[in-house]
Amino acid sequence: MKLLIVEDEAKLADYLRKGLSEEGYVIDVAANGIDGLHMASHGHYDLIVLDTMLPGIDGFGLLAALRQSKQTPVIMLTARHRIEDRVRGLKAGADDYLVKPFAFSELVARIEVLLRRAAGTAPAPDALVLCLGDLQVDLARRRATRAGQRIDLSAKEFQLLTLLLRRKGEVLSRTEIAEQVWDVNFDHGTNVIDVAVRRLRSKLDLPFERPLLHTVRGMGYVLEDRQS
Amino acid sequence: MRPRRAGSLGRRLARWLALLTLVGLALTCLGIYTVTALSFKERQMDTLRQQQTQVNHLIAEAAELDSGTLAHKLDDGMVGRQDMKLILTRADGSVIYASAGIPVHHRVIDMRFEATTGIPPIQAVLSLDVSEDDRVLERLARTLVAAALAGAVVIAAGGFTLVQIGLRPVRDLSAQIQALEADTLHRLLDGSAQPDELAPLVAHVNELLKRLHKAYEQLDAFNADVAHELFTPLATLMGGTEVALRKARDADTLRDVLGSHLEDLQRMSMIVQDMLFLSQADRGAEARREHVASMAGVARAVVELYEAAIEEAGLKVRINGDATGLADVRLLQRALSNLIGNATRHAHPHSTVVVQIDRLDGEIALRVVNEGQTISAEHLPNLFNRFYRADAARSDAARNHGLGLAIVAAIARMHGGRTMVDSSNGITSIGLMVPTPRAQ
Repeated sequence: MKLLIVEDEAKLADYLRKGLSEEGYVIDVAANGIDGLHMASHGHYDLIVLDTMLPGIDGFGLLAALRQSKQTPVIMLTARHRIEDRVRGLKAGADDYLVKPFAFSELVARIEVLLRRAAGTAPAPDALVLCLGDLQVDLARRRATRAGQRIDLSAKEFQLLTLLLRRKGEVLSRTEIAEQVWDVNFDHGTNVIDVAVRRLRSKLDLPFERPLLHTVRGMGYVLEDRQS
Repeated sequence: MRPRRAGSLGRRLARWLALLTLVGLALTCLGIYTVTALSFKERQMDTLRQQQTQVNHLIAEAAELDSGTLAHKLDDGMVGRQDMKLILTRADGSVIYASAGIPVHHRVIDMRFEATTGIPPIQAVLSLDVSEDDRVLERLARTLVAAALAGAVVIAAGGFTLVQIGLRPVRDLSAQIQALEADTLHRLLDGSAQPDELAPLVAHVNELLKRLHKAYEQLDAFNADVAHELFTPLATLMGGTEVALRKARDADTLRDVLGSHLEDLQRMSMIVQDMLFLSQADRGAEARREHVASMAGVARAVVELYEAAIEEAGLKVRINGDATGLADVRLLQRALSNLIGNATRHAHPHSTVVVQIDRLDGEIALRVVNEGQTISAEHLPNLFNRFYRADAARSDAARNHGLGLAIVAAIARMHGGRTMVDSSNGITSIGLMVPTPRAQ
């Protein structure tokens, strides 16, 4: 998958290139709107990460010009926390929108969603029983067991565990967890997610020897069996 | 088109006073002149009529006499009247009598009449020299014009001077205002030497100054608070990074340091984002309201998010009441999230946090009620101020940057609503009211 990053801030462009390359994407970077438009129109990219404030042509202008010829998925980045900007970006044909400063993991998650949407593939159908080590989660019967012992979970705890288990080995940010499990998209303290995870952990890991639910400082949480 | 400048008040007033005085005095003078001229005219006519009677009388007396006698008698009658002239003619135009003349260049008024008793009839022309009267009238006119002009000039000058004197307090006020600086706004204007007319102006300016001063102080304090709030994580970041770099560390340790720094950075980012949000609300951003079928449903989503935290704190939660209305759901949930978060932190263990939804007259009240320490009355009005903490040394200050309730207030404002707070007998209720059309 080949991505174009149009971003004039060198440091930011650099870390995006590095981070996204490590995620397995091939990355081109344009440092201004004119180069960006040229590369976007003439090259073939699966997705474009576009800054709004650019020298030459700004992000909105670039997007408008690009949409004359191409429908490449575009994620816009802005430093401005304004609703009008968001509306303007989406109207101009952006597929998604991120406000700086954003979590890198969130950018990756949104890129994946857009690429999946563009490819027209749905995520793999759910298996009915998910497993990790001695943990088993039966989705149909809404039952979780570990080493054969039943774990008593509330509805939200069950959803949280399912989310972590479906994406095992992947670090999930608190924001994403809040969105996926509680379906909230308002700004809230991240503390509530920590408490919920802590409670899940006390039921899932505390009675057993090997912890499965790990905290990645500053990033979020990951469910993985680290000893196997 | 440029608006016309008003120019000098003194000069303008002086001009108008001069003009008005001139018009007024001119009318008065015109009156005096007219009356005088009419009186003169009347007196002249009286004189002519008297003389006419006498001439008639003389002619009648001398009717049978010869013309020489008549002339003599008439000469006698005209004695002492150098200002008069009499000419008598017959019907054929021949002159019977002509008295001594009046100098030709003098203006005269004539009276023609037919002598009543003369047979054949005698035509008489009696002339009166009015040049003396004309001179008097002319002098009068000159004097009046001069007086009117002088009066106008005096009044204009006086008016100008009075305006200058009258405006002296305004100049003083202007000097006082000029001396004001952003940091001396608390020095109010001294209105003691001001006339009554300016007292309201001084009072209003002073009120404005007080408000400005308060806003300035708040801004100042706010800036200091922001700096402080950002400095704390910055200090951790700088110190932590420095310490991490002092020695060779293994990857795990470094990963841990970076992760911890990321948390601090996220906290800073949150503070800045919240401040931007508040600044937008201050600049009058409005909520995009949509129909909300169930406020309780909106609250339930937030309560669910807090379920674990509430349970962990040993609390229960309940939603009371419901209403439909207009609101920006996202903003409302954010406000409720802050309120529920606060209530969870301050509630007594084993108590119940209640989200109370009431439909009032044209408004919906959303309150979060918890049992806990009563907030003393002095803190209540300030609770919604930025960075205001009733308890200065709160243990969870690191997690709560003190903008939560300010954001609730901003969200209320963005909906055209207001906040409400009440704390007594161990029950604290904090919330917001949003207006909602009755038809909904």
